[in-house]
Amino acid sequence: MNSIINDSMAFALPLFIIAIGGIYCEGSGVINLALEGLLGVGAFFGGLSFAMISTQLGTTTNSMIYLSLIFSMIGGGLFAILYALLAIRFKANQVISGVVINMLSVSLTAFLANQLNYSLFGQASNKFMLAVFPRVTVPFLNKVPVIGAFFNETYVFEYIIIAIALIMWFVLYKTPYGMSVRACGDNPQAVATAGRDVNKIRFSAVIISGIMAGIGGMCFAYSISTNFSPSIYVGYGYLAIAAYIFGNYKIGQTLLACLIFGFARTFGYLIVQALALPSTYSDLALTFPYIVTLVLLIFFSKNFTAPKGLGEVYEKSKR
Amino acid sequence: MEDYFVQLKHITKTFPGIVANDDVSIDIKKGEIYALLGENGAGKSTLMSILFGLYEPDGGQIFIKGKEVSITSPLKANKLNIGMVHQHFKLVSDQTIAENIILGAEPMKKKWGFIKSIDIDRANKEVAELSKRYNLEVNPTDIIKDIPVSTRQRVEILKMLYRNAELLIFDEPTAVLAPQEINSLLEIIKSLRDNGKTIILITHKLDEIKQVADRCAILCKGKLIDILDVKKASTQQMANLMVGREIELEEVREEVKKGKVVLEVENLSYKDKDKVSKISDVSFKIYEGEVLSIAGVSGNGQVEIADAICNMIRATSGTIKLNGKSIDHMNIRERAEAGIAYIPEDRQNVGLILDFPLYENLILKEYFREPYCSKHGILNFNEFKKQSNELIENFDIRSGKGCETTVRSMSGGNQQKAIVAREIALNSSLIIFVQPTRGLDVGAIDNIHNKINELRKQGKAILLISLELDEIMALSDTILVLYSGKVQTIEDAKNLSKNQVGEYMMGVHNNA
Repeated sequence: MNSIINDSMAFALPLFIIAIGGIYCEGSGVINLALEGLLGVGAFFGGLSFAMISTQLGTTTNSMIYLSLIFSMIGGGLFAILYALLAIRFKANQVISGVVINMLSVSLTAFLANQLNYSLFGQASNKFMLAVFPRVTVPFLNKVPVIGAFFNETYVFEYIIIAIALIMWFVLYKTPYGMSVRACGDNPQAVATAGRDVNKIRFSAVIISGIMAGIGGMCFAYSISTNFSPSIYVGYGYLAIAAYIFGNYKIGQTLLACLIFGFARTFGYLIVQALALPSTYSDLALTFPYIVTLVLLIFFSKNFTAPKGLGEVYEKSKR
Repeated sequence: MEDYFVQLKHITKTFPGIVANDDVSIDIKKGEIYALLGENGAGKSTLMSILFGLYEPDGGQIFIKGKEVSITSPLKANKLNIGMVHQHFKLVSDQTIAENIILGAEPMKKKWGFIKSIDIDRANKEVAELSKRYNLEVNPTDIIKDIPVSTRQRVEILKMLYRNAELLIFDEPTAVLAPQEINSLLEIIKSLRDNGKTIILITHKLDEIKQVADRCAILCKGKLIDILDVKKASTQQMANLMVGREIELEEVREEVKKGKVVLEVENLSYKDKDKVSKISDVSFKIYEGEVLSIAGVSGNGQVEIADAICNMIRATSGTIKLNGKSIDHMNIRERAEAGIAYIPEDRQNVGLILDFPLYENLILKEYFREPYCSKHGILNFNEFKKQSNELIENFDIRSGKGCETTVRSMSGGNQQKAIVAREIALNSSLIIFVQPTRGLDVGAIDNIHNKINELRKQGKAILLISLELDEIMALSDTILVLYSGKVQTIEDAKNLSKNQVGEYMMGVHNNA
């Protein structure tokens, strides 16, 4: 039971933080299919920074792990600028440019990982090895029945994500900036006449989605494989998109959706174990969250309301 | 020297293919209601958008309270205490009234001395106070998408007042309102002036100007024609100046003999998806050469009747016959082919594909037929354009680039002309007009009214649905009044006075 909750949370929370970035981006009216690419690039930057620093110093410390999280945010944010330029500055089709960003990041990070491994570390590999993310146990709370499991041997990044998520929630719903972001997604003209710069707000929202995707991708790299490799691209970015759509672009409901996906994934593995299937079948377990997505889509599609101005390029003189 | 709030001097602005403002100079005194009158496309909205910082002029100067200013953005206009209620409201549909009003000027509070956040309680309180002070009743916590159009307009006005606007620009504020709402808006405008605000009213409705304005500038094709003292000028004089030709405000009706029954609606009922009854048990007939109007306050089921006849919505029960044959089993296209032309209420969303060129929009109902489409299913755009140019010529549709113009860039009046042209060209036996003159200027209204009269003479059956009582009184042979989905009366138009129709519309007419 404990491990079910632990594994599920370790998966659901990075997904959640990526989805929050998506809520900012799409909430401001810019379609964001690029989350998959952004999380990969973020993880690449984080992984690279960790590998470089640890090779340089010859040891690994916890502070280096936290530093790599910051680098992943920078990497994701920088790469998001590229998408923001395409989608906002150059008014390119947002669906196509999002997909292009994804494909670009897959091949670019694979290529760079190979090259840098060879030239910096003299290895022929496309992986950056990472350390195990530190875990903590919160005393007393871990004794609470059921919920206590979450406080037992938890990855520290889960708490970091919760803290960031709270800040992001506050900014989105309680500050003028957040209100403008949400207004941009509904009626950009309203924001413009209120005297704010629609394109600047959208630009910043896209960058925020890159930063969030970066940190989420880095956490996946730590928790799932303890290394960065191009196998990070397995569709978690798209799953995050599904999560905030199920969550109706609201942060609270999106958390719920992420938890459902997290538990669905863990149960998938449990089923494979329980049936004592050969290891090749574990891939089957990976399909479980996606099947859940499909089923949920069938039942709940009616209730989703996307921001009214989603995908609408803002132009001053539009009637 | 008089106390001017705004002076616009020699303003010129051109768009590709069109001179929107040509050397326009106007002065607006503090505390007056100044009307800008002109046809659609005369350059009124452009001029005001320049004053509000949405467009930059190509030439000319703007003085506010005697000082020259350059207004490069709405933010700057706000700082100069200029506010604007746009024709298409700029509201965020899923946020509350208070949130919309404070957007861009949010009151803040500090938590624990350092975390700043929006003080929504204070916002709600301030908005409630403001709405009480100016008699603009709203509930600050209502969500925009749940409130009616007239309330949304009040929100827009409050938005300006919240920013301490002293000059309030209203861009065709009555275009979206029902008749009784118009009066209350005009009262609001007057009371704003009495509170010391300066007001610019963009409109093409002469009676509104007569009712509230002090002075009136008339624009025609981008040029300033005249500035009149409203009290001294006659309505006829203003109308002629605005259109640049003689307009007949009173139309003379010819007698037309009724022919055979074209449309027969029996016991039509419709319930929406929440099982709310929108129309119940409506029956009527329309004959050749007859204009039957459905009068009613907005939202009493008129539009649903039109939509049910075209099958845009499925009637819950009842039968509809066209030229003696039941059309109940037919889909939308089959009904159109059988002889129903439809000019919808929402011309931008239902009537047109805004981002398509004019020539495609004009053939939207016939593109699948020869000669527009060959037997092998290939579209022949030369035929599209040939027919379009003919319609553009016959219906005087004005646009920047002829039939290649993207419809979005055309003025509202010309968009409507395009729909009317397309539908009339179908040569159907029944033509349904829903709110055909909404938001149009005198010239364009005149044009559409003449078309309706002409069609009536040709022996077409016409169903006219309108919120404008004057229009109904002027055009109809028969008037059907609808109140909450039920027929109040069907009567020969000659036997009804405007007041009687009004009473039926409110559901208060006493039959005894």
